[in-house]
This record gives sequence, C-alpha cells and structure tokens, in this order.
Amino acid sequence: MVLEATMICIDNSEWMRNGDYSPTRFQAQADAVNLICGAKTQSNPENTVGVLTMAGKGVRVLVTPTSDLGKILACMHGSEIGGEMNLAAGIQVAQLALKHRQNKKQQQRIIVFAGGPVKYDKKVLEMIGKKLKKNSVALDVVNFGEEDESKTEKLEALVAAVNNNDSSHIVHVPAGSSALSDVLLSTPIFTGDGEGGSGFAAAAAAGGVSGFDFGVDPNLDPELALALRVSMEEERARQEAAAKKAADDSSKKEGESTSQDATMSENVGTSASESENKKDDMMDDENALLQQALAMSMVDPDTTVTTRDTDMSEAAADDQDLARALQFSMQEDAKDQSDMGKLLADQSFVSSILTSLPGVDPNDPSVKDLLASMQNQPEKKEDDKAPKEDDK
Amino acid sequence: MACLHDHSCEDHDCSSDWSLYKHIDIPKLSALNEAVPGSVKAVFKAWEQRLNSSEGFLESNEGDPELIVFIPFTSDVKIKSISIVGGADGTSPNKMRAFINREGIDFSDAQSMQAVQEWDLAENLQGVLEYQTRYSRFQGVGNLTLHFPDSYGGDTSRIQYIGLKGEATQLKRDVIATIVYELMPNPSDHKTKSESGGGMSHVE
Repeated sequence: MVLEATMICIDNSEWMRNGDYSPTRFQAQADAVNLICGAKTQSNPENTVGVLTMAGKGVRVLVTPTSDLGKILACMHGSEIGGEMNLAAGIQVAQLALKHRQNKKQQQRIIVFAGGPVKYDKKVLEMIGKKLKKNSVALDVVNFGEEDESKTEKLEALVAAVNNNDSSHIVHVPAGSSALSDVLLSTPIFTGDGEGGSGFAAAAAAGGVSGFDFGVDPNLDPELALALRVSMEEERARQEAAAKKAADDSSKKEGESTSQDATMSENVGTSASESENKKDDMMDDENALLQQALAMSMVDPDTTVTTRDTDMSEAAADDQDLARALQFSMQEDAKDQSDMGKLLADQSFVSSILTSLPGVDPNDPSVKDLLASMQNQPEKKEDDKAPKEDDK
Repeated sequence: MACLHDHSCEDHDCSSDWSLYKHIDIPKLSALNEAVPGSVKAVFKAWEQRLNSSEGFLESNEGDPELIVFIPFTSDVKIKSISIVGGADGTSPNKMRAFINREGIDFSDAQSMQAVQEWDLAENLQGVLEYQTRYSRFQGVGNLTLHFPDSYGGDTSRIQYIGLKGEATQLKRDVIATIVYELMPNPSDHKTKSESGGGMSHVE
C-alpha cells in the first residue's frame, strides 16, 4: 500500500511491429501497461500513473500522472509506431514529470519497457542510474523484444546503479507462448517488494476485488472456489519447480541475481526445451488433478450417508424396536441399487417374525411404528400377517 | 559568524537551549542521497548526546558527498542558530545552505535556487561551534531544508548531529495545500481502537 507516483515509459519504436509476442509486441506492451495501471491504483487509490512514449519523433508525455484509468487506456490507442527508442531521454523526461507531481508525498517510480536496442553506453546509463538513486526515484525495467548480450548487460548495470534497498527491479521476458502481462504478474513489479504478492495478483487477474480469496464466495459456489484454489496451487508448484531448476543452472553462470532474474535469463538460453518441459509438467499435473477430482467425487456419497446415520441413531436411542427398524430401513437405502425384491422378501419375513413373537401386541405403538417404517410393503403382505396372527 | 562556546556550562543548561529537536515532525523527516534510508532520524537528538553515535549517523552515498536534509516542524519555530557535528577524515560538510518553507526540494532545485542563508562550516567534531542565523529571516519556519553541497575532501559526507536553537511558537502556518481526499476506503488507514458501536461504518 505504498503511496506512489509512477511514470511508465513505453517503447513505440519500429521494433514493436514484430509478432513474436502475440499479437504484436506493441499490443502485448499495451496490455501489460493496462494491467500495471490497474494494479497500482488498486493497491492504493491515491496512486497516480502517467505514460510517455520514448520513440517516434521524440520523447512525448501522453498522460501526466493521474489516477484516471480511462485516460491512460485511451492514450494507448492513439500512439503510433515508428522511430528508434531513446532510453536516456525517456528516463530523464520521466524524472521531470515525476518531480512536478501534485502530491509531493508520493514516492517516485519509473517503469521502462525496453523493447528495441539500446544505443547508449553503459557509463551513460550508470550516471543516469546514480542520479535517479540520489533523488530517490525507483526504477523497474522490463527487458523484452530484441535480445542481445550488450543490451542485457547495460540494463542490468542501470538497475544496479539505481537500486536502493531492493526497490528497483529488472525483468527479462523472452518471446514465447505466454503473454507479456501474464509473465509480469508474478514478478516484483506487480507484487511490489513482496507484500502479499500472489494473492493480489490473483485478484487482479480475476478482475474482481472481494473479501474472498478468488473473488468467489465459498458458500455460494464451493466447487468453483475449490477448483480455483487447486489450480492456483498447481501453478505455484510448477513455478517453484521451474525456478529451482533454473536457479541450479544459473548459479554456475552469475553469482548475484534474484531468483526471478535467474528464471527469466535461463529462459533466454533454453526457451524452447523449457517450454516443452513445462507443457509436459502441466499435462501430468492436469491428469493428477483429474484423478484427484474423481476421487473426491467418489467420497461425497459416503459422507452424506454417514451424516444421515448419525441423525437417525440419535432419534432411535430410546426404542429398541424402532432402532432395529431404522437400521433395517437404512440397510435398505444402502442396498437401494441392488435387488429390490430380495429386500422386500427379507422385510416381510422379519415383520412376520416380530408379529408372531409372544407378547407382541400388534396394536402396540412401537409395533405400529415398526410397520409404518416399512411402508413400501404391498397390502397382500399385511394380509399374510393377519392370518398368521389369527393362527396364533 | 561562528561563536565559540567558551563559557562553563554550570550557570545555564545548554541542553534546554538546543531543544528545538523536540518540535520536529519525526515521521516526515527525510533526506536525499543518504546511504541508509531513514538514517537521518538518528541525527536529531539532545545536546548531551551529540557526540554519541551509537544509533548511527547520516552518511551520503559512496562517491557523492552531496546531501539534502528536509526538516518539518510540528509548529512554526524561530531559529536562532544551527550546530553541525560532522564526521572525521574529511567527511565533514564544508558548506551549508538553508531554505525555509519549501517542500520537495531536490538537488537540481537546490543548486539553482538562491538560499535564504549560506554558511561555510568548520570541522566541528566536538560540537562546540554554532552558526547564527539572520534571525529576521527565520521567523515562522514551518519546515527547514539544509543542503550540504560538498565535504572536506572525503568520498562521502557524514553528519552525526544537527542542533537547532530557537523558540517554538504554537502556531501553524496557513498553507495552500492540494489535498487529496480519500477516493476509496483503505482499511489500513482506519484502525479502530474499540469495537463498541454507535459508529455507522464497520470496516473489517
């Protein structure tokens, strides 16, 4: 719930026409921007977000920091693709825009989407980073699109220069099947330095804010809530497995990066094989899930029957005959699917035995109850009983 | 401008003079270019503790001795003089520039703006030097910003103590404020002490 003013620098250079992020890099970026704006405004309604473009004819501020999401959505539509990204100028203009924010109590943050190549020197970027740190501006960089070693190195150096107490982050997103915004959801850019991240991200993804975990009331729709919870846990387990695998590999490469960086940078190297592995994992997990669901559905009838058992046993505590009758009637329910005729035969036999016992008065209320509990007997069976009594 | 504290402290109580630190709005204290965020709060303490660095000191980032300290007060004060205890080995600041009643001054602002007053500082490790202000300009101070552009040759600037001498009035300045009203209830802002009722709103 940090009070923050954010400037988002989007890349609208020629490199954004590429379709390696679906549908185009620019569209994927726009979706991510919308998600970020929503998340920032939700975490604290007094947060403001602004947008500027870095390429085109020059750096242009589209929206100054505002909490009006409609304005931000509208301006993303109007921007055009062209030119080359000017990273240094973009960051400096963003810093200026933040300096003139209305509410001076807000912390300052810049989020940069770096899609095109970076033409500035590492030294220049480090100077910019130091200046941001001095003025206590945090910086988040999303490295996507064009991939080359020097670009990654430069951006890492920039974020390292700005980073003060882990408030700045860099995320590398390789091209792949998952959307840019989905990948960003699990990064610190959304989770904001680890304050209840995944729960919030889930709420943002579901698009709803409610008191319950997944925007679904467990009382109203327990199966849906259960299914959502299970799928969230499966996703978490999958990510942890992938992170562990990537962490082991990347610990050989670089000493100091966060586990998120490790996951993402590892993906850069072996993206194809990893995505396949992930798909396999998902299939296995789905099968396991299905089996789990089936097992649970099997359990349900048993539980309902046992609850009924307890209710009945309380009621029939006093009267032994009644108890016996209830027992028989419940056995009858359990065996419902099996042979009905056999059941009836058993019942008539039992009732005839009971009535023929010495000292059992057919008019006794307990006997009447007993008979009443076997309501499904046809009338001729009762006629059988009557002559038997007469015989007695 | 600096006068030496050359009398014995038995006749008067020095610490009561340097008591403006009690009127500082501590949660809103901030500094720019500090190496450890929040370390600026350790610098404002009682006169007797001015040499005690157990709670830390304010240090600037490596390689950059520039510092800005923003000091808001809980009521308007009149500042008579300021005392600074710096660090050893050239890490003491050598110059101080003061601005009053301006919020959100950053380094580019500080360098371009005309200060209300500027002082050349000496290396004052014992905290016996005080720098007097042009008192007429320091009446009705709601907040004070101190800018230390450079140190005595050290890589960083270190400040152990900032003392302020003066008077506190009970008045608050009238400020034309841009107030942002609460757009949506934020549960963390509404911690209710008692559950007991009568209240129409029930925040969970």
